[in-house]
Amino acid sequence: MKIKSSIYIRGGTEMNDYLKLQGIRKRFGDAPVLAGVDLNIGEGELVTLLGPSGCGKSTLLRCIAGLTELDSGSILLAGKELTKLPPRSRDVGMVFQSYALFPNLTVSQNVEYGMRMRGVAPAARRSRCEELLALVDLEDKRDVYPQSLSGGQQQRVALARSLAVQPKLLLLDEPLSALDAKIRKNLRAEIRDIQRRLGMTTLFVTHDQEEALILSDRICIMNQGRMVQEGSPEQLYTAPRTEFAARFMGSYNVFNRAEALKLFRRIDSRADRFAIRPEAVTLLAEGEAIQDDADGMMDVHGQVQAVSILGNIIRAAVVAEGVHLTVDLLNDGRWLRVREGDRVTLLLDPAQLLHLEQEGA
Amino acid sequence: MNTRKAGIAPRTFMLLLMVYLLLPLLATGLYAFAQDWQNTLLPRSWTLGWFRDMFQDIRFLEALWTSLYLCVISVLLSLAVMLPAVFVITVYFPRWESFMKGVVVLPYAVPGVVAAVGLIRAYSSGPFDISGTAYLLVGAYFVVILPYMYQGIRNSLLSVSAVELLNAAELLGARRRSAFVNVILPNIWPGVMVSALLSFSVLFGEFVLTNMLVGGHIQTIQVYLFRRVGESGHLASAIAISYFVFILLLSAVLMKLGMKIKGQAK
Amino acid sequence: MKQRERGLILALAPFVLMVLAFQVVPVFSMLTGSFRDADGAGFTLGNYQHALSSAYYQQAIKNSLLISALSSLIGLAVGLVCAYCITRFAPAVRDRLLMLSNMTSNFAGVPLAFAYIILLGNNGVFTLLFKQWGWNVFDGFNLYSWSGLILVYVYFQIPLALLLLYPAFYGIREQWKEAAALLGAGTWQFWRTVGLPMLSPAIFGTLGILFANAMGAYATAYALVGGNYNLLAVRIGSLVAGDVVTQPQMGSTLAVLLALSTLLAVFLNQRMVRRMEGFGGRSPAGRERSSGLFRRRWPAVREEAGQ
Repeated sequence: MKIKSSIYIRGGTEMNDYLKLQGIRKRFGDAPVLAGVDLNIGEGELVTLLGPSGCGKSTLLRCIAGLTELDSGSILLAGKELTKLPPRSRDVGMVFQSYALFPNLTVSQNVEYGMRMRGVAPAARRSRCEELLALVDLEDKRDVYPQSLSGGQQQRVALARSLAVQPKLLLLDEPLSALDAKIRKNLRAEIRDIQRRLGMTTLFVTHDQEEALILSDRICIMNQGRMVQEGSPEQLYTAPRTEFAARFMGSYNVFNRAEALKLFRRIDSRADRFAIRPEAVTLLAEGEAIQDDADGMMDVHGQVQAVSILGNIIRAAVVAEGVHLTVDLLNDGRWLRVREGDRVTLLLDPAQLLHLEQEGA
Repeated sequence: MNTRKAGIAPRTFMLLLMVYLLLPLLATGLYAFAQDWQNTLLPRSWTLGWFRDMFQDIRFLEALWTSLYLCVISVLLSLAVMLPAVFVITVYFPRWESFMKGVVVLPYAVPGVVAAVGLIRAYSSGPFDISGTAYLLVGAYFVVILPYMYQGIRNSLLSVSAVELLNAAELLGARRRSAFVNVILPNIWPGVMVSALLSFSVLFGEFVLTNMLVGGHIQTIQVYLFRRVGESGHLASAIAISYFVFILLLSAVLMKLGMKIKGQAK
Repeated sequence: MKQRERGLILALAPFVLMVLAFQVVPVFSMLTGSFRDADGAGFTLGNYQHALSSAYYQQAIKNSLLISALSSLIGLAVGLVCAYCITRFAPAVRDRLLMLSNMTSNFAGVPLAFAYIILLGNNGVFTLLFKQWGWNVFDGFNLYSWSGLILVYVYFQIPLALLLLYPAFYGIREQWKEAAALLGAGTWQFWRTVGLPMLSPAIFGTLGILFANAMGAYATAYALVGGNYNLLAVRIGSLVAGDVVTQPQMGSTLAVLLALSTLLAVFLNQRMVRRMEGFGGRSPAGRERSSGLFRRRWPAVREEAGQ
């Protein structure tokens, strides 16, 4: 959460339609994969499509690239209608999860491929290729075949290759999923950095909410072929509108109305799904005094079921009033003595309780 | 890759290919049943006479019998020699395997004619004058099916993890030889059967070595067919088609057996 | 310990003996024979000199090389197109088509030559039929000559080529096509720059096998043209096992030359297979079967057998 989207300055509302998707529909056989998707992306913006596998996010990406034909809807990129164009005329670059580098070509030949296909002169090709290899920090690998590179390096070559032809839009289809955790984090930062420097309008597909939060100017959550919610990372993290979004964005505690009533006693809404973030719950060990600023907080008694240490966070599973909930505590040494079976008091702030909308509303 | 229906071009090409490949077979088949086929698209009248003639021809039956027993003997000999050898090499001397690959690839890379030249020269004089005899032929057959037998037995041993099986049996107190007979053999048997049958069918269709090594003395079914081609076309067709059907049945059995093994492996 | 060693030796001895007797000794005998005088004594290079200078043997070598090269190229071209086509079908249909094609590869040698005689021989069904209909497509065609041999050789080359080539097409990943399309390549450009280069090891490897296969083919040619057409394999056959007079030394020499050509072709195949494994680490044919050679006969069956 350190990279805040406040750095993002460009996308005013009037500029917010560099890429314009309207009513995108697609079915495979009987199954609707995209059920009328609308999306606008501003120039230079990095938007993430976030959702579980099979939610249609990758299909949407492929439709924009022209690799999958859509049933209906329109795609406008910089004012140009793409729907009828073949992939090669769309000015769209794409990076695949499995890199899709050409194994018979060297790194520099891979990067130059798009320019070669467009008839760019060799000298121009070479200098542009050098530029890009410098950008992804692989100048010393230019004459190497992709198979001998690590996964992270291959993906950087793929990124350079798709940027070489200066596409108007960059599509990233789970580019980090095939990499191991450490490389994933580095490359994540690198992609964001490059994207900012080039002001590249980018659509990023992932199923990893942490990735989405860190990278994006804006996140669109998708489920079952629809947009569930879109907004800045903060908005989505702090105010998910539906149960699906709440569960997907973090380890939100989700309650039904009866459970919420047990914990909060009084609720001023007719919603029947509620959520609270685990770190928004205060946990007091037995005998610990309730602080002075606890005005308006609900206190309930409970018992710790399990404690697990996730590094900087300690996660406690607590049952209070017969309701299971998760509480996150900062690992500042104070909480290491919380043990399974301990009796504790929970302070709940009604202001932090989210009233969720019905799915699909 | 894709499950959609193939386009028009692939269909046309494959159809043409199949017609091209099946036409000679079909013609031979029709010819074998034709009474009279001179200058019409299809024969004018049909008969089973050629097949009757075939089975009444004593030389055909003799050739058939010769083929069968030569092939069976060769495969049995190969089994007896190869089973223990491949077992020992795979289990105890895995480092020899690259050398074995060389030994095994040679019969593929060296055409039958060439092999025949060496065999004839080596065994037509001197202390081992066995030229023209079945001994020489069986030896030659042994080399022909070497790759199939080696590969088949080795893969079977690997797929049942023979080394682990053997260790387990020995830990349970079995002696090595009895472990081989009681534990390894029953487990690799289906795979070995497939290679044996495959080898049999390869030998059954063998012509080059047979004709060059013993052609004048021993007539197998292929040599017989070759002799009859010039005489009666219809009779030869009947033989060719019978041979083909026989091989087809054999390969069907092989396929079934193979699938069964594959099913067990899963 | 001693008993154990004895057991191992006992298990290996018959195998070593058989390989020595029927593989090593004959090869050795053939090699030495090729360096012997006609009377069987003394060392000489004369046989090779003769083989390479005599117009007769030169013609045999030239004919064999030409027929092998041409039939391999035609077989490869047709096989390539068909292998691509076959990957466009659903797997069930594909397997059935492959099975049919494999089935016909059992129809080789004498029966195959015979089938062609029935169809296109002097009194062949098509020959007579076309004569009657007044078509003269086959006027310049003579089954018992070089054009006939090509036709028959191609027949047994195509199923083999198909079988060796089609797995390679599965090595061409759909995403390469997509990436290329997005980078501006048309279909043909993709095949020229990525597809065919990726297939090239498979193509050259297959060419090697096809060539070796044709060079060594004896039965088909012998049954079709007998001694009437001058081919290396047929020549060797008549030199060592002929009806009239045999010249085992000359036969050995030609056999060594023939073996050299097929070994070279097979070596090419092995090299290409290794290169294929280098591309992306995994050869489409799989490790065990990848030598290509092992797929020569009934590979479908072998595949079913889990090999």
